[in-house]
Amino acid sequence: MVKWARAACSIVLGLVMAGSALAAAPKKVEVTFWHAMGGGNIAFIERMVADFNFTHPQIEVKAEYKGSYRDTLNATILAHRQKKSPHMVHIFEVGTQMALDSGIFTPFAQGLEASALRDLEDYIPPVANYYTINGQFNSIPWNSSNPVLYYNKDIFRKAGLDPENPPKTYGEIMKAAEQIVRSKAAVKGITWPLHSWFVEQWISMQGALLANNENGRAGRATETHLDSPAMMRTATWWKELYDKGLYAYSGKPEDWDGANKLFVSGQTGMLITSTSDVTFHQAAAFENGYALGTGPLPAPDGMERNGVVVGGASIWMTRDKSPEEMEAARTFLLWLTNTENGVRWHKGTGYFPVRTSSCDVVKNQGWFEKNPAYTAAFEQLLSTRVNRASQGALLGPFPEIRTIITDAMQQILSGTPVEKALKEADTRADKALQDYNRSVK
Amino acid sequence: MNISTPFSSNRWLGLLFLLPTLLILVMFLYGPILETLRLSFHQVAFLGLREEFCGLGNYRDLFFEPGYRRMFQATLIFTFFTVTGGMGLGLLLALLVHGVKGGRGFYRLFLIWPYALSPAVAGVIFLFLFSNQVGLVNAGLDALFGRHPDWLASPALAMTVVVGAAIWKNIGYNLIFYLAALSSLPRDVLEAARMDGAGHVMRLLRVFLPLLAPMTLFLLVVNLMYAVFDVFPVVDLITKGGPSDATLLMIYSLYRDGFEFLKTGSAAAQSVLLLGAVAFLTLVKFRTYGRGIHYGGRQ
Repeated sequence: MVKWARAACSIVLGLVMAGSALAAAPKKVEVTFWHAMGGGNIAFIERMVADFNFTHPQIEVKAEYKGSYRDTLNATILAHRQKKSPHMVHIFEVGTQMALDSGIFTPFAQGLEASALRDLEDYIPPVANYYTINGQFNSIPWNSSNPVLYYNKDIFRKAGLDPENPPKTYGEIMKAAEQIVRSKAAVKGITWPLHSWFVEQWISMQGALLANNENGRAGRATETHLDSPAMMRTATWWKELYDKGLYAYSGKPEDWDGANKLFVSGQTGMLITSTSDVTFHQAAAFENGYALGTGPLPAPDGMERNGVVVGGASIWMTRDKSPEEMEAARTFLLWLTNTENGVRWHKGTGYFPVRTSSCDVVKNQGWFEKNPAYTAAFEQLLSTRVNRASQGALLGPFPEIRTIITDAMQQILSGTPVEKALKEADTRADKALQDYNRSVK
Repeated sequence: MNISTPFSSNRWLGLLFLLPTLLILVMFLYGPILETLRLSFHQVAFLGLREEFCGLGNYRDLFFEPGYRRMFQATLIFTFFTVTGGMGLGLLLALLVHGVKGGRGFYRLFLIWPYALSPAVAGVIFLFLFSNQVGLVNAGLDALFGRHPDWLASPALAMTVVVGAAIWKNIGYNLIFYLAALSSLPRDVLEAARMDGAGHVMRLLRVFLPLLAPMTLFLLVVNLMYAVFDVFPVVDLITKGGPSDATLLMIYSLYRDGFEFLKTGSAAAQSVLLLGAVAFLTLVKFRTYGRGIHYGGRQ
């Protein structure tokens, strides 16, 4: 029964394809692109794709919004099983190892000409670093972000703090938060979403690794370091902030909106969140009539700042496509992230331009004088050291390990001793890693 | 017996008429069930791109890993309180509405209303009610007692909120069934009890409850099925299984393993367990429902 249906389908499809081939003599190369950028970004991407199709008459790109990052990756795997995978897929940074192991993608740089390879050197080093795997440029970074400190200058002034000098270390944050709460300038000192992402950033900031085998970059990671001194330091500081009533918890994990709300409504004087929210916070500060300041992500006292992991998401190319289609996909991806489009992307969405040349253009246009809130983010990005810690970990079951880390932090805030919670998280994460590694061997 | 219909004489025609239904059942029910059973014995990577036989490995993990033990624990606690709370309140409200002289229809309508909402709506309503910053409940508590607990951050409170949402959503169902049962109770027995001078409590304990027993048994099964299978949106919207897995119910865990962590094998094993449970409960339901039709006392 199924076979007949298949045969019938393929005959019909064959006829249709033959018909369309006859109708359109100079055939366009059609490539599909699945992405996970919802909301207003869908229309923005549609416009960019339309521009590309207009300027490249021989290529037709079809962009499709596929839901969350997880949904997009799942849909791609299922499509691949039916041999209908798209040419380009938007994948989040924690899906990197999983996408690699699935074996349905091909490294971007493979088969690229020398001039194009040189062009890749324009991508900002810490950004390119994350997506360089086994020495090869693997996927095209697109929407990159990292965490920065946002603070309310009016609250700082009221609390007697210097509004032009944000706290930069764990200790300084603690003191500033204490002063804000004591002076009643705000109910709480600081907030950020309870999310594993921040923990990962603080590990990188201390130059520490999240997993063995050089963060899973030198070889497959087999063990996590969730109970490392770097983890303990961060968790202890966070817990102390919370216990002293200085850290405001929105009550739900991974609650980005909740943390934003606490800060925008003036209930906290400081907020740590993604650079991709700069545009939102500038607008919110203007609407609510307070002065917004930004600063770098705080680091532990007395330690050198190693920098942040530049995550976000990148665009991957699937394998087993015809050379013309591969070429068309590469052309589109390089166009999408070229100097001009990087600038357009940054101004339109708040995400960072991923090329050094785009950053230069933005700088020369006097963008930072008009939008000083962007400065901290750029500086932090450009001053990040390129090493294994800031390259970020490659872990197969990263989404699951993120949940484990978030759980552990929740337990710590609600009273479990730091060491016990982290030890347990480490055991759970190791188990998840081993199960995953076994399943892909 | 000698009036043989064309159908009984022609088996093939009968089968032909059954074919569409059978096809649909095979494609959408039996096929997936067998596939799930098969997957539960495999370690599956990438939604089936790679599979490796692992025997009972997935089941062993399910029963011996502390993470899953917490899941079973949360499921048990949730099920117990949702079922007893939902049925207890349903019975109480049904007795009250039954005893009301005027406006019974009015009460009935408004008490059944939540049942008409989808669980997702119930989830959103409770999420906003108990939100730490913008929630009505905390605004009230703050004004009255100057306190605003982190409802969704503490394991016990989060479980309370999820149970509350689940009970609220389903209370109309229990109410309407109990009301129907109450109005068809044999009058002579009630009358006799009253003549014998039995008080309210006595009548409730000795007359109403025993007479309602078949209905209670039926509702118990239906409520169990609801508490175990239909509460996914409530958990997804309010707590996402948190804080630290305190409200990680089996139905949510299976979704999370399957679609977020891509552990298809483990998710399949959990589905098989749930399938076993639902099969058992359905069997009990059919049996009790058949009995429930003849109300006691007048067989």
